[in-house]
Amino acid sequence: MFFSEVYGVYFNAMAEILRCAADHPIDMAEMRKIIAGHAFGESGVFIEQCIKDEKWQLMTADGRTNIQHAPTMPLTLLEKRWLRAIQSDPRINLFDVVMPDLSDIEPLFYPDDILIFDKYSDGDPYEDEDYIRHFRMVLKAVREKRPLKICTLSRKGTVTKSVFLPAVIEYSEKDDKFRAVGTGKHGNTVNIARILSCKLTDEQPPDIKNSHTARTVEFDLTNERNALERVMMHFAHFEKQAVKTGDKTYHVSLCYDKDDETEMVIRLLSFGPMVRVTAPESFVALIKQRLIRQKRCAESNVHY
Amino acid sequence: MSYSELIKNFDRIREYMIEFYVYGFKSREEYTQKSSRSYDDERRRLESWFGDYIRINYTPDGKNFSLSIDSRSTGGCPLYAAWKAKSFTDGAITLHFIIFDILYSPEIKLSLKEIVDKIEDYTSLFSSPRTFDESTVRKRLREYISLGLIRSEGRGRNILFSRTEDTPLNCTDVLEFFSEVSPCGVVGSYLLDKTKRNDIFTFKHHYITAATDSEIIFRLFEAIHEHRCITIETFKMHKSGSDTAKPMKAVPLKIMMSVQNGRQYVMVYDLQRKVIVPVRTYNIASVTGEEVCVEHETYRSVLDGMLPHIWGVSTVNRAGTGMDHIEFTVRFSDGEQYIYERLEREKRCGTVTRLDDNTALFSADVFDARELVVWIRTFICRITSFSCSDSHIEEVFAEDLDRMYKMYGITEEDEDVLQ
Repeated sequence: MFFSEVYGVYFNAMAEILRCAADHPIDMAEMRKIIAGHAFGESGVFIEQCIKDEKWQLMTADGRTNIQHAPTMPLTLLEKRWLRAIQSDPRINLFDVVMPDLSDIEPLFYPDDILIFDKYSDGDPYEDEDYIRHFRMVLKAVREKRPLKICTLSRKGTVTKSVFLPAVIEYSEKDDKFRAVGTGKHGNTVNIARILSCKLTDEQPPDIKNSHTARTVEFDLTNERNALERVMMHFAHFEKQAVKTGDKTYHVSLCYDKDDETEMVIRLLSFGPMVRVTAPESFVALIKQRLIRQKRCAESNVHY
Repeated sequence: MSYSELIKNFDRIREYMIEFYVYGFKSREEYTQKSSRSYDDERRRLESWFGDYIRINYTPDGKNFSLSIDSRSTGGCPLYAAWKAKSFTDGAITLHFIIFDILYSPEIKLSLKEIVDKIEDYTSLFSSPRTFDESTVRKRLREYISLGLIRSEGRGRNILFSRTEDTPLNCTDVLEFFSEVSPCGVVGSYLLDKTKRNDIFTFKHHYITAATDSEIIFRLFEAIHEHRCITIETFKMHKSGSDTAKPMKAVPLKIMMSVQNGRQYVMVYDLQRKVIVPVRTYNIASVTGEEVCVEHETYRSVLDGMLPHIWGVSTVNRAGTGMDHIEFTVRFSDGEQYIYERLEREKRCGTVTRLDDNTALFSADVFDARELVVWIRTFICRITSFSCSDSHIEEVFAEDLDRMYKMYGITEEDEDVLQ
């Protein structure tokens, strides 16, 4: 069963309440805090009422419980099958952990059941021992919030040494690449596949704020050839706002990271005349620049 | 029935989530063709589940609600919350915690009667103790057996129940990563709920809409493994209260996923039309397993043979027959060798040939060349030739470029400026 209350936030919140109540008498304030941390915006009122009315006979209104052991639940078969399935993924080797032995469990899916058809072909080398070692070191640094002395090879073949404090590891499914994101002299991102060596250090990186700079682009969208669905799905992962402006027209504004501006330009161009960028002017200029160049290509060359 | 933020059935909320998250421009009136109360309830649920992500836009047509999520900054997929909102009865939650408290260790093995007797001890603490008869408790235990939480064994004339062994998990980072990138990742999220998150990962280009199709994908995996035929019911249209279209009987073969638009498809052998076609999981209302298909392996081999000519998922071209040949050349300067590298890494089933230091040719023979056009347009500003065996595609490509030149007011003078 996929959709079951045993996975639900109410059960999780109640388990935590009972766990605390098994340890000490629990008051309403503590209960509300637990519910806020485990359940939804309106859950508190409902759960409190059920306890007060003794509908859920697990806890009295004065905070006593009939449950004698801290609540636990074994893994469901579905959870075991999913855990078994991910153990066939080559990326599991990046993690220095012992996964539970589930050899007698049928995986929920096999690698051959799935094809990701538009992933880039130059993804990170998950089987490479150096890569795995570097990944684990970055992971350790993120967990312990410690800087790394890092040596990387640039796209142009230049070797760079720096101190880098990774805050998170970012993964792009499209690129199939991991990047350490944090603070360093040479920027806020390090491709893990470009690391030649790295080790933990007590040196601190320069105090440079390299945070993402949010920008907004606005465009008109004409719903021809199912463009509405295609465009909105394509840009679904951004924070955005869409307004219907006519029978088949919409105005969309979306936020993106300044560092990804070129990518945004080509992604918007890919929708052809169904998308017309309207603001900011600087972005419109980038689009026009490419179209002017294209017109020149067409006129100086060739047939389409 | 009074409003509850919990739901019995996932189907209706699934549609609302997509509408709010992907589109988000519809007014209340556009949702309320069947029931305005239904819209109000669903919207209130979404507000409760996704509070911080809800945006209200005021337009001349009224208030529009949308879900605005930058999946790069959230860490975990917020849409999983919907899978954790299954409704239940007061008796179910009471029994759940009491049963697992009685059976607190795998060594404890009790009969149904013993469990029922012990439950009475638990509820006696309350002013109006609930009573649970044997059939209610038996039903609950059976459900837990099917979930894999409880096991039963015969002992003489009795059946004894015990909890299954605990599986120690010490892999939070693994769960945080795979719950976002793996099929049916919501299961990983269920597991994460039992632990404290480390928040190690963020995800770029991260499409989270697939979360809403999790159970459909799960059912498709089951049918693929068991080599079963299935009946698929698809939505006629995606809006609240939509009807389902005529069922399709098919043999599911493979799940195809896009990491560039978040769409998921199942490639099926359509038993009526006798062709392999993609069905988008977003459009699937239900999947029902039918009889075993002895031809499953054959159809799978046919699909495997077709894959080197499928750019995305389409298996039929515009004319409905044969294969399309498509090619284009791009030009790049000495300092733009990354364009060539881009072609190489993005070529999929196509071929890239270097014509000289600054020119490369991409070509492909595919079932449906229309699928490549969007990608080819990403090379606008460098495309020096474009041709396709389907002349209509060539014409549309050229017309689209002309429309774009006009749309942005590009004139001869602009060209001169650039030179």
